[in-house]
Amino acid sequence: MRGFGGPGRRGLLMGLGAAGSALAARAATLPDDRPADAEEGDSTQERQPFYARHQSGITTPQPAAALVAAFDVLAEDRAELEQLFRLLTERCAFLTQGGAVTPLDPKLPPLDSGVLGPRVFPDNLTVTAAVGSSLFDDRFGLEDARPRRLVAMTGHPNDALDAEVCHGDLLLQFNANTAETNIHALRDILKTMPEQMSLRWKMEGFLPPHTVKKQGRDTVRNLMGFKDGTANLDPRDGALMDRNVWVQPGSDEPAWAVGGSYQAVRLIRMMVERWDRTPLQEQETIFGRDKSEGAPLGMGREHDEPDYAADPAGVRIPRDAHIRLANPRTEDTQSSLILRRAFNYSRGLTKAGQLDMGLLFVCFQADLEKGFLAVQERLNGEPLEEYIKPFGGGYFFALPGVLSQDDFLGRALLAG
Amino acid sequence: MTLASSLTRQSIVAAAALLGLHVTAAAAADKPVPPVAVTVTDKGCVPASLTVPAGRTAFRIKNDSRRALEWEILQGVTVVAERENILPGFAQTLTATLAAGDYQMTCGLLSNPKGTLTVAAGTQEAGAAFPNLAKPIAAYRVYVLSEVDALVTATAAFTEAVKAGKLDEARRLYAPARVHYERIEPIAELFNDLDGSIDARADDFEKKEQDPTWTGFHRLEKALFADKTTGGLDEIADKLAADTVELRKRLDELELPVKNVVGGPAELIEEVASKKISGEEDRYSHADLWDFQANIDGAQQIYGLLKPLLVAQNGKLVSRIDGNFTKVDATLAKYKVGDGFKSYDALTAPDKNALKRSITALAEDLSKLRGTLGVD
Repeated sequence: MRGFGGPGRRGLLMGLGAAGSALAARAATLPDDRPADAEEGDSTQERQPFYARHQSGITTPQPAAALVAAFDVLAEDRAELEQLFRLLTERCAFLTQGGAVTPLDPKLPPLDSGVLGPRVFPDNLTVTAAVGSSLFDDRFGLEDARPRRLVAMTGHPNDALDAEVCHGDLLLQFNANTAETNIHALRDILKTMPEQMSLRWKMEGFLPPHTVKKQGRDTVRNLMGFKDGTANLDPRDGALMDRNVWVQPGSDEPAWAVGGSYQAVRLIRMMVERWDRTPLQEQETIFGRDKSEGAPLGMGREHDEPDYAADPAGVRIPRDAHIRLANPRTEDTQSSLILRRAFNYSRGLTKAGQLDMGLLFVCFQADLEKGFLAVQERLNGEPLEEYIKPFGGGYFFALPGVLSQDDFLGRALLAG
Repeated sequence: MTLASSLTRQSIVAAAALLGLHVTAAAAADKPVPPVAVTVTDKGCVPASLTVPAGRTAFRIKNDSRRALEWEILQGVTVVAERENILPGFAQTLTATLAAGDYQMTCGLLSNPKGTLTVAAGTQEAGAAFPNLAKPIAAYRVYVLSEVDALVTATAAFTEAVKAGKLDEARRLYAPARVHYERIEPIAELFNDLDGSIDARADDFEKKEQDPTWTGFHRLEKALFADKTTGGLDEIADKLAADTVELRKRLDELELPVKNVVGGPAELIEEVASKKISGEEDRYSHADLWDFQANIDGAQQIYGLLKPLLVAQNGKLVSRIDGNFTKVDATLAKYKVGDGFKSYDALTAPDKNALKRSITALAEDLSKLRGTLGVD
């Protein structure tokens, strides 16, 4: 595992002259301070793979903390863009696997923020890189390489999009066990790559750690108090992921996109005060699930499958209930099944002094039109809209994975 | 835009057509009504003809035929409710909430004659399933129609002034025209398209104030009060006037949904709590207090009509609501000038907090109106 001494750092270290070299040499001789027998349950040492056919952070288990950051790419030509992706790959490889930080002369600003201490631990960090449609404008000669369904997000009827928290050339999704690990990684990248990219917007999210531990057996509740994601696709089902999440060879997508996935991000505010003043039975009718157990209305358990064919008029579960529109469970809506990876968010107040909280919605799919856009199309006009307001996010394409140390994010894209 | 009711025009028209479908007496939940018994034999339903009152009815379907049974309530070709797979010798219960009208029951084999089901409400009038709500709802309808009439007239005068280039007059007519919309907002905003084109704020658009699709009162407000011009607004002025005429037409045809009427005061107060308290609604003219009072007036109008029914159910709730309305009115009265209000900027921090306190308490209490009166 490489520490801080990648190509981007080498120049800096060399510039330090003899003193710098001496320090670097000393750092190299420091004993590995990782505890020999890491305590059982020490989650800081949990790791997700970095070198793989697909990027981590899509089908890997969802940890408790998320940070999604969108960037404007500042690179001015294709060569600089390649530099960006090479450096980004190197930083992500280090940050997600962990390692010692090289100390510098204390008269210099330290290389690392120190947020994680002298030895960066992985803490389940994944950094998932995705590109927006704007990267395929005329700056880098990539016009013809644009994934066929990658477009800029446009407003749906209930949206009140704020341009300040929409779109971006590049999106990084940081997921980790703790918020500090995401922040550490973001700050590392910002500090390492100031000339290549600038932050456009960011949003942080969280999930309850107690439920995350029971992933696959229990479902997280959203901030409206409802279990959210019960019918989500099982990311451990490889064949299902190939069908619904990963772009496949032989599709009409550019060859470089194989193994990547469309990523839709939506920042959705929930009017929680108002929701808390809504009768329980109306809340349940709007979602189509009972609030305490999470069972589809009229059924006993959360994972019971609603039989919509037997309820065409929507007597038990109204036809415009959220779960019924989102997943009608019919043959011809199988193609719109998406892999959700949502988090809750909470950040201060509105101008009126009400809580600004809701959902940092993220989903992945092999086809944006058949996936998120088809689902959203069905949801447009749902009664839940009275209590939610999407205001930001964007559509992106998560790059295929990095196969080895000789590979880098976006290599196939730039080679085309 | 308001805390947009998501109903599309089509869906509200459909909802109006099915009025009563979602209306249930609270009593039904507390004191279960004995189910209506239907027995299905190899020949058909017994009885073959049923009459039930509008609202929620439980049907106890007994299968005395020799094969598994699917029992359905049909309206025309639409299945309104059904119970599948009732085995021979068994009985199952189906609960359906039905609006007044003529329905059919399927009775076993497709070749069997269908039974007839009549859902009687005496009258198709709004609130039919709630005889005691019919009167207040009829009275509220009169209020809504007179307010929308006033909206059409006042908006026409306002937009004429804009088109005639009379900047001062247009600015003076802006707030008085809007109040008629704000008073009936819970009903007016049922028409999502019109609510957007009449009352949307720049925040609702990605390109904010530069967005070419932004129209309505607030678009004109920005031109008149921030840009200080009436130039180039003819099209937007004409559209606003036409939209109010269209709104009147639709309201004329609309049977007021009971749920939206009884839920109206809560809706209006939520609007105040989320938008008016912050002064973001009329950010160019600072006429927020006009809207504030109009929302309160609209809420009090409905509340006043329902009050006799509420007193019987929950006297304490009524006195708390009365107390908070009085406080809000008293605070707003300090800012009255003639028929209108001072600028929102004049609102002091203590008064803003006092309003916030009463508004939040009202929001909590008024959210109980529907449940208290048994309207879901």
